[in-house]
Amino acid sequence: MTKTKEPLPKILTANDLLQGGTVYYTASGEWSPHVTSALVATSPEAVEALNTAGAEAFATNVVIEVAVVDVNANGALRPARLREVIRATGPTVYRYLNKSVSPEK
Amino acid sequence: MYAYDNFDQTIVRERTAEFRDQVKRRLTGELTEEQFLPLRLMNGLYLQLHAYMLRIAVPYGTLSVRQMRKLAEIARKYDRGYGHFTTRQNIQFNWIKLEQVPDLLEDLATVEMHGIQTSGNCIRNVTADHFAGVARDEIEDPRIVSEIIRQWSTFHPEFSFLPRKFKIAVTGAPNDRAAVQWHDIGIQVVSGDDGERGYRIYVGGGMGRTPVIGSLIRPFLAKDQLLFYLESIMRVYNRYGRRDNIYKARIKILVRGLGPEEFTRQVEEEWAEIRKTGIDLLPEEEARIRKFFTPPAYATPSEPVASYDEAKEKNPQFARWVEVNVHPHKMPGYAAVTLSLKPIGGIPGDASAEQMEGVADLAEQYSFGEVRVTHIQNLILADVRQADLFALWQRLTEIGFATANVGLVSDIIACPGLDYCSLATARSIPISQRISERFDDLDRQYDVGPLQIKISGCINACGHHHAGHIGILGVDRNGQELYQITLGGAADETASVGQLIGPGFTADDVVDIIETIVGTYLEVRKPGEVFIDAYRRVGVAPFKEKVYAGR
Repeated sequence: MTKTKEPLPKILTANDLLQGGTVYYTASGEWSPHVTSALVATSPEAVEALNTAGAEAFATNVVIEVAVVDVNANGALRPARLREVIRATGPTVYRYLNKSVSPEK
Repeated sequence: MYAYDNFDQTIVRERTAEFRDQVKRRLTGELTEEQFLPLRLMNGLYLQLHAYMLRIAVPYGTLSVRQMRKLAEIARKYDRGYGHFTTRQNIQFNWIKLEQVPDLLEDLATVEMHGIQTSGNCIRNVTADHFAGVARDEIEDPRIVSEIIRQWSTFHPEFSFLPRKFKIAVTGAPNDRAAVQWHDIGIQVVSGDDGERGYRIYVGGGMGRTPVIGSLIRPFLAKDQLLFYLESIMRVYNRYGRRDNIYKARIKILVRGLGPEEFTRQVEEEWAEIRKTGIDLLPEEEARIRKFFTPPAYATPSEPVASYDEAKEKNPQFARWVEVNVHPHKMPGYAAVTLSLKPIGGIPGDASAEQMEGVADLAEQYSFGEVRVTHIQNLILADVRQADLFALWQRLTEIGFATANVGLVSDIIACPGLDYCSLATARSIPISQRISERFDDLDRQYDVGPLQIKISGCINACGHHHAGHIGILGVDRNGQELYQITLGGAADETASVGQLIGPGFTADDVVDIIETIVGTYLEVRKPGEVFIDAYRRVGVAPFKEKVYAGR
């Protein structure tokens, strides 16, 4: 029998309407620029709640480009896909633009 | 260069005010994102991975020093201190905040610039040969007709909602430096049998997921008939272009579907009708535009400059730079200079605010106050006195734009890729950085000779990979970046589509593979034979054999 692959935990991300920057939905219902602050959903119900929160924030013009994305939650929180890693940490080509070393983003 | 009249200035100011109001209404929630999206795109404002991105039109790649200084100011004031020159001779700013865009556009409008028609399904910024007006092989300055097309296509009501975006390029010379056969419409100035100048018209070229070389639909069109003819092409496209499928909406698909002969027949039929309605471009209007492109006040041709020859003799680096980055000029005693925005390990096309200001100062001092942007993501000072070249080279070295690699292996076109772009499937810039670092020895690059590498981070092909002698396309394969390689593409008058050589390579392997391809070329080439000619002679087989040996 084939073992069903466990779905990865998920977080809610978007871009801030005013600034355009990458943001993450947190446990307190705020939006943070830091992926490590993201609320992690591990159950279908929790993922549904993220979807609802995202739709509401989009409808009320807080954020745009809302998406629920996979993360690897073992150790430090890190998006599963490279695209999301780059959204979280900035371009890989300019060290000084990298969010991990730049307080600006 | 062209200077706005009251009409130009008014429409840009009115559009800027209109967009300010639209942004305000978006921020108050009066406009939804769905309603706002087409409005912001009409002004060149995209949302990318990290921020909004503003694309600013640089008509046929021509900038005044005043404009360049304003771009530097914008880089500092609204961005993170740098900008990115693109393959469409435009500039993009990557870190823009929506709430600041109205002020930014107002600043831009003070120097006759904007982001209008740099996005959306309309006629985009027209591009042209970056050596316009100075090339020795030029029949006529392509900026004149480019400016006419700019005015004709700006806010053209009939062509504001086309099936898809539409790009026009113009060359005034037989040696095509504007990649005209890769455009929706390519225009080449030609001389008829009796010496009369006219246009050769190509239609249906394009990159993206379906690379096509344009079809020649009219070998000669009289100059005063251009606008009606263009209008006829646009009408046939507007009427029959596919609006139901974004992947089949470009004019290349229509031309291919109908066949070039039938497409041409329909254009000619439409043209016959339009011609009954009135007169095309008035000669006095052409003459009015032409005046803006009167050659600058060149100094009287001087004797050979002894100090210049002496500097070359004493300084081999300068001599090499002259050989590689300096181009012949129609005026004796002058030269056109390419400023390489491809330093080893750098980001193709990026320039900091300080570099932009430095270039503006040099253009003011040495090149009649004008700068060109090339579709290869470099800059040009088109009118430099030979006697000033050594001083210019020294200053460019300080700025970081004097790498002697123009047309060589590290003069790479790369799109922003997955580091910035929301459409990208893989990174482009780091691959270009690593290739240029691998070939950091400029003597080695010089020995390899002319070789164009072009990298795209997705199938949309903004990095022109289909037209690269070596093309690299980054894709996502099961979450991993994978790079497919094509060989034999060309963007010049011998335009050809690069052919995929086989399965792709990981990011770790791709630089080694490029080196293997270059090494194979060095083995097979005949004396003096450049890469593309060698490839066309021997075909893909020897390259495939080496690349996939042991794989």
